[in-house]
Amino acid sequence: MDTKPTRTIDRRRFVQGAAALPVAGLLAARRGRAGVAAQGEPVRFGVSGPLSGNSAEYGRIWQRAMDLARDEINAAGGIAGRPLELAYEDTQSDPKQSVPVAQKFVGDAGILAELGDFASPASMAASPIYERGGLVQFGFTNSHPDFTKGGEHMFSTTLSQVQDAAFLAKTAFERVGKKQAVLYRNTDWGKITQGLYVSALEELGGEVVAVESYLENERDFRTLLTKVRDAQPEVVTLISYYTDGALLAQQAPQAGLTAKLVANGACNSPQFLELGGPATEGVVTTTVFFPGDPRPEAQAFVGAYRERYQLEPDSFGALAYDGVKILAWAAERGGFEREGIRQALAEGTDIPSVVYGPFRFAEDRRVENAAMVPIQVKGGAFAAFA
Amino acid sequence: MLDALVTGLITGNTYALIALGISLIFGVADLINFAHGSVFAAGAMVGWWLGADLGWPLWAAAAGAVAVTVALGLLIERLALRPLVGGPPIAPLLSTVAIGLILDRGLELVFGPETRRFPSALATGNFRVGGIRFGTLDLVILATSLIGMGALWLFLRRSRLGWAVRATAQDRDAARQMGVNVEGVQGLSFALASGLAGVGGVLVGMYYGNIEPSIGFDAGISGFTAAVLGGLGSLPGAVVGGLLLGVAESLGVTWFGGSTRQLVSFAVLIGVLWLRPNGLLGAAGALREPLTGTFAGGGAALRVRPWQVALGAALALGVLPLVANPYQLQVATLVAIYALLALSLTLVAGTAGQVSLGQAGFFAIGAYAAGLLTTDGGWGFWPALLAAGVVAAILGPIVIAPALRLRGHYVSIATLGIGAMVAAVILNWEDLTYGPLGIFGIPPPTFFGREIVAPRDTFWLASAVLLVGAGLVWRLQRSQLGLAWRGVRDDEVAARSVGVDLASSKALAFAVGAFLSGLAGSLLAHQFTYIAPDTFGFQVSLLALTVVVLGGMSNILGAILAAAVLVGAPELFRPLQDVRILAYGLILLLLVRFRPQGLLGVR
Repeated sequence: MDTKPTRTIDRRRFVQGAAALPVAGLLAARRGRAGVAAQGEPVRFGVSGPLSGNSAEYGRIWQRAMDLARDEINAAGGIAGRPLELAYEDTQSDPKQSVPVAQKFVGDAGILAELGDFASPASMAASPIYERGGLVQFGFTNSHPDFTKGGEHMFSTTLSQVQDAAFLAKTAFERVGKKQAVLYRNTDWGKITQGLYVSALEELGGEVVAVESYLENERDFRTLLTKVRDAQPEVVTLISYYTDGALLAQQAPQAGLTAKLVANGACNSPQFLELGGPATEGVVTTTVFFPGDPRPEAQAFVGAYRERYQLEPDSFGALAYDGVKILAWAAERGGFEREGIRQALAEGTDIPSVVYGPFRFAEDRRVENAAMVPIQVKGGAFAAFA
Repeated sequence: MLDALVTGLITGNTYALIALGISLIFGVADLINFAHGSVFAAGAMVGWWLGADLGWPLWAAAAGAVAVTVALGLLIERLALRPLVGGPPIAPLLSTVAIGLILDRGLELVFGPETRRFPSALATGNFRVGGIRFGTLDLVILATSLIGMGALWLFLRRSRLGWAVRATAQDRDAARQMGVNVEGVQGLSFALASGLAGVGGVLVGMYYGNIEPSIGFDAGISGFTAAVLGGLGSLPGAVVGGLLLGVAESLGVTWFGGSTRQLVSFAVLIGVLWLRPNGLLGAAGALREPLTGTFAGGGAALRVRPWQVALGAALALGVLPLVANPYQLQVATLVAIYALLALSLTLVAGTAGQVSLGQAGFFAIGAYAAGLLTTDGGWGFWPALLAAGVVAAILGPIVIAPALRLRGHYVSIATLGIGAMVAAVILNWEDLTYGPLGIFGIPPPTFFGREIVAPRDTFWLASAVLLVGAGLVWRLQRSQLGLAWRGVRDDEVAARSVGVDLASSKALAFAVGAFLSGLAGSLLAHQFTYIAPDTFGFQVSLLALTVVVLGGMSNILGAILAAAVLVGAPELFRPLQDVRILAYGLILLLLVRFRPQGLLGVR
């Protein structure tokens, strides 16, 4: 008779086993993430962004898109054979947290470049530290005109508001209506865009019958919309993020406002359609990127994103994805050094991107000659504005 | 005009529903429940999950949401309040702040942070008055508020249990001696208030149309404002306050534009409190114990000997800069800046007993003064630093004047309003402050021509200013003036009877406090180099108060230590990633639970 005891499971072993499982899973995931092909010293980029708190939903979009970009790079053999790692740090988009995080990244010799932060107060408070530390701060959502003036290490791929607002004004004026009311989110971004939009529109000969601002955490727009209704515009232009844009579109009919709606490119998100429901039908906006964009690099990104998350990507996601890919591109050309990355970005002429196609950074370290297209919500989806 | 009135009533309707629960808890537990907004958010999220996601009918989804929020209410009462009974009256407030943090982050983890559509199960546009459409949903919200108010009123007036609730509200100890189960009564009112917040979450969530886990905070602030406007503890007052607030905001938006909404709502609040210090329908009521001071129970202050202080300071200033890395020094610099901000409140709240929730306003004034003087004005760092303190010290007592004649919780809410108004003025006064654009390119501090940018140098600078501030507070606390302030804190009537002028003593405390906040603001502006109105939100005021309470109200060393804990912990917990903020809330909760008198105790 075999006297070797059978392997019994007592309570302690059960608990140990249960505890080990997720750890093993995590380890396996880590290993899997690094990819098989990529070997050698990892290349690390820091990400400073709102992974929790009031702006966490944008942080979530970033994380999805950036994880996708990182895994694609690693699956294809890494950056010149070296695996890419992203060091995410949550700042809640709060300068009190983004400033220490900047110092942390700068002090970590393994970090070669940084992406973020989300809102201007958090990004721009951290800029001097990145500038002094010689680390590229890739602020792909920072449209504040002074952001890239923070120093030669500040780059941004978000649209310059000058171009953005002028193109939207032209589209709205020529193709939607000439008598307009403008509503804007009262932040640095909304304020600047509104100013540029109104002056562009007036230059074209449009009539601005009302300009109204609202607080960024506003949810109840009925009074404001009533006021706008009384100005009797043909067109109401929303300089909004998709969350407030969707609410404005929804509440407009309740205030008896029946004018046509034009929205800023920040509303170009599947979430805008989802949150606004049928009220968004017919809304016109302009963009550099939308999921229906036929360019092959755009379709490759949309397809991969859809397959992995069963979701449509938006421009925030596309910009985040591009951010990682562009820095990886620069790291390879810049010899895996901080200064080299800066130089590669500043001097590169055909930087690959989903949003703009091949582009270069102008003197002000923003995208040169970004081309835009008008789009419209048709049958619950964004389509080219015909 | 008619349309503005109608939309105002529709909006105010939602405030009323939230304000009811807040007013009930105020009345019974004498507590500003900062977790109430988060409970409301929990109701909205659970209601969305059951109703919109799982497709339950409205009544079932609402019942489910209420079940969850009632459980949460009981849990909050049990975990955050009951263990603190008999402790310092300010401790439960801190406890609710911690619970709010935990709840908000918990909801975010459970449901994901995305904004989602909450389609209304009731019609939203089937009626029309003038040019405004409204729907069955709005009527249901109104009916819920009125029925809730009526049912609560009947319950409180007509049932034995209701009498017990009122008896507890009037005098806890006397009620207990008469055989009332005081803990049970308090639990019951939390359950009722939280249940109302649950229904409110579902209905108001549908009214908003879109919700996300972080909606609770703003909703809570509007609810507080409405409750205070109507008079704390008065249920009809909560409804009237809500409707009035809605109409006032609506008219304000119509006349002055959407960005002035907060400005208008807090101006109305301050105006009403100016005329009626107990709100519109609030009873003058019996004097309650002061929020701070000698009635505080629990634990003597830890005695810290001078040599220990000297050793600690020597370690912090002499050794830390040599062993810490730049990241740690950066965190330490921010700790020093926020400790200085907290010291301003150590004096105002700790010594003089004015529990201010508006310190961010003075912080902002100092930061903007320094920022504007050194950019547009071309001043040097040091004169601008001093000027920032002086400007804040001059403006401080002026803006705070309406709060000087108030007492207890009304001071907190009025100062909250004043702090928010300062931020709103900065946002709207674009010619001076650049409004939402903020001030860019504030130069780094200099010392005899040398720029102070290295983390070690900025740490030394911030610590030096902190030391001066701490010395000032220490000296004042031990002065004749400090004695007068403590008199005001401990017993206003007694203080007045020995010849202390209440208003001017309080104003002086606020002036000195604002001076210190101004210095802190200047340091922050030069550290960040870019400031915008968003940099000085209500969260900053709340952090300052949290630091002071955690440190032990009037305890200088305690405030510095607590600043290190509260600003340092989120950095220390970075390895925890997703649960970082959860852990932060938990630590705060545990600290309050086991050191309700503060880390170093009240002195």
